[in-house]
Amino acid sequence: MRQPQFIRSNTFHWALMVAGVFAVFVIVLFGFIYWQIDDYLTARSDRVITAEMDEIVGLSPERRLEAIDDRLRQDPREVHLAAIFAADGRRITGNLESLPSDLRIDAPAQRANIIRTDRGRREHQVIRAIARRMRNGDVLVIGRNVDEASEISHVVGQALALGLLPGFGLCLLAGAWLSVRAQKRVEEVNQRVQRIIAGDLRERLPHRTVDEPFSKLAIIVNGMLDEMETMIHALAGVGNDIAHDLRTPLTRARLSLERGRTNATTLEQLQTVADKAIAGIDQSLTIITALLRLAEIENSRRSVGFDSVALHEMLREVCDIYEPIAENKNIALRVIATHRLDVRGDRDLLIEAVANLVDNAIKFTPEGGRVGIELLRGDKATILRVTDSGCGISDQEREVVLRRFYRSDKIRNTPGVGLGLNLVAAIVKLHGFRLAIYPGPGGRVEIICPDHKDGIKELASFVKCGQPAATVRVPSPEKCGRQ
Amino acid sequence: MAKVLLIEDDSETAEEIAAELADRGFEIEWSANGVEGLDKARSSRPDAMIVDRLLPGMDGLAVIEALRKDQVRTPVLVLSALGAVDDRVRGLRMGGDDYLTKPFAVVELVARVEALLRRPAESRETTLRVGPLELDLIARTAKRGDRVIELLPREFRLLEYMMQRSDQLLTRAMLLEEVWNYKFVPATNLVDVHMGRLRHKVDQADEVPMIHNVRGAGFILRAVS
Repeated sequence: MRQPQFIRSNTFHWALMVAGVFAVFVIVLFGFIYWQIDDYLTARSDRVITAEMDEIVGLSPERRLEAIDDRLRQDPREVHLAAIFAADGRRITGNLESLPSDLRIDAPAQRANIIRTDRGRREHQVIRAIARRMRNGDVLVIGRNVDEASEISHVVGQALALGLLPGFGLCLLAGAWLSVRAQKRVEEVNQRVQRIIAGDLRERLPHRTVDEPFSKLAIIVNGMLDEMETMIHALAGVGNDIAHDLRTPLTRARLSLERGRTNATTLEQLQTVADKAIAGIDQSLTIITALLRLAEIENSRRSVGFDSVALHEMLREVCDIYEPIAENKNIALRVIATHRLDVRGDRDLLIEAVANLVDNAIKFTPEGGRVGIELLRGDKATILRVTDSGCGISDQEREVVLRRFYRSDKIRNTPGVGLGLNLVAAIVKLHGFRLAIYPGPGGRVEIICPDHKDGIKELASFVKCGQPAATVRVPSPEKCGRQ
Repeated sequence: MAKVLLIEDDSETAEEIAAELADRGFEIEWSANGVEGLDKARSSRPDAMIVDRLLPGMDGLAVIEALRKDQVRTPVLVLSALGAVDDRVRGLRMGGDDYLTKPFAVVELVARVEALLRRPAESRETTLRVGPLELDLIARTAKRGDRVIELLPREFRLLEYMMQRSDQLLTRAMLLEEVWNYKFVPATNLVDVHMGRLRHKVDQADEVPMIHNVRGAGFILRAVS
């Protein structure tokens, strides 16, 4: 037979255990109460019979018989026992058949097994009794039935049953209820999760009050689901973007090839068409390459290959490469990096990142503007700053521009794939640096390289300058490549 | 006539490459798998090899490794659809001399094969000469005839590279990799701008041009005939 599921549940096992412990505790408590009461009653009986004994012993022999008869007569509850036995064991008076063999004489009150003979029956009883030998040799026995104690134990037992059984049952019920409830919730969560797995991304786990652990868990999981939903939607958007960006040049290529095949009459026309098609295919390839490169950087664990990179030299190199391009556009490209500052990183990737930033800056700066590359010390960090006099990145765009695959409409209309900043962000993240983009007017992007234990090694010359650690701006901008 | 061994499993690609190289006057031998390719490389001693990375039977890099173990120093161009920087580094470390990612332009392939065949010998010359052009590597000065050419360090480096490979087509990708040590393709057309500046200094208005732009391919430095 299959057990109901809740019996196997952990919650129910716990409830069962608690109920058991509770029962044991109650039983011990009641036992203690019973033992205490029994003790008290015995002591009281002992005191009473001792007092009676003293009283009767103090009387004359005739009065004793009277006193005993009186005592036995006035006993509606039939608890009194008394008898006088002659020295030879013969009963003189009283309701005991014989002198109990186990009753020690002249000892304090004790238990004794007796046979009661009055009221026309012979009855075995266990009583508290005391025996004393009197001067004439007779033995006086006074006893008291302590059935009260067993009555009390009966009452206590009843109380125990009355209290314990419902308590135990309640415990079990509560355990069963809790475990069924927990199971229901798990089942509910399971159903929702199954729906999520099946693709319903808007499904969320149920939660009631905030302070319940289950609800807290549900809220945490829901937070995670929110995050994942956003990511998945972003990815879907990315897929569409990629498809769009790839299809556009491919469509162009296809169209020109088709038209060329039908319309071209001279070799020259055919070559023009082929060139167009090749350009379209090349653009698609560039996009694929950029995406793969991004994935490569994002998934790489390159930190093992990290080395000390002299940023000031690297910046001069980037400046050296881009200066002619800036000059062609009549843009003043300046590098301000007089101090040697090293960071741990991959030189090639860092060059790629800075080159991308400079490339962007030059691209978006109108003719006659300026682009600056600065290397400076910030608060416990080395800062690589690229500034330009272009339109900059607007406040609204500042956040989204770093989101993966975000493409500004501005970027869409300029040559390039539009993944440059994503690439920079990926490289920066790989290094454990931070990318800060400041709102316009004028572009200002910073790569902030926090100092690690061994991250920054400043040359003595820098320390000797006695500059405070806060932003050190070195005047006298120099034109790169001409020093 | 230079003999080139092509090890490539995709027959269509192989045919295109073979046809193009044959047009350019190379003698082409083709193997579709690594084991056969290795045999041919050992037996027919080609002047250069083009090896695809992923081959049936034997991996392209394993072929190169085996050859290098036999002390065969034939220059090898590795072709691969794996474009990641790490793949490239691995390809070159295993003994490849150059690495080209698929898909590639045919001119790029030809230019690289030619570059492999005409690799500048290790020379102790301290002065490079191409036609009237003279480059002093010690004094870091350049002259065309009697005219002194003022060059920035980056222009000097570019001219030096071109003079070592005069009369060879140098593609933009080759220049980026070799002269600027760029491991990625920048968005802006860097090479053209730099080349424009250098050309402006080397070829003046009244002189016969030495630096030629090959449309859609790259640049050639030619001695004035």
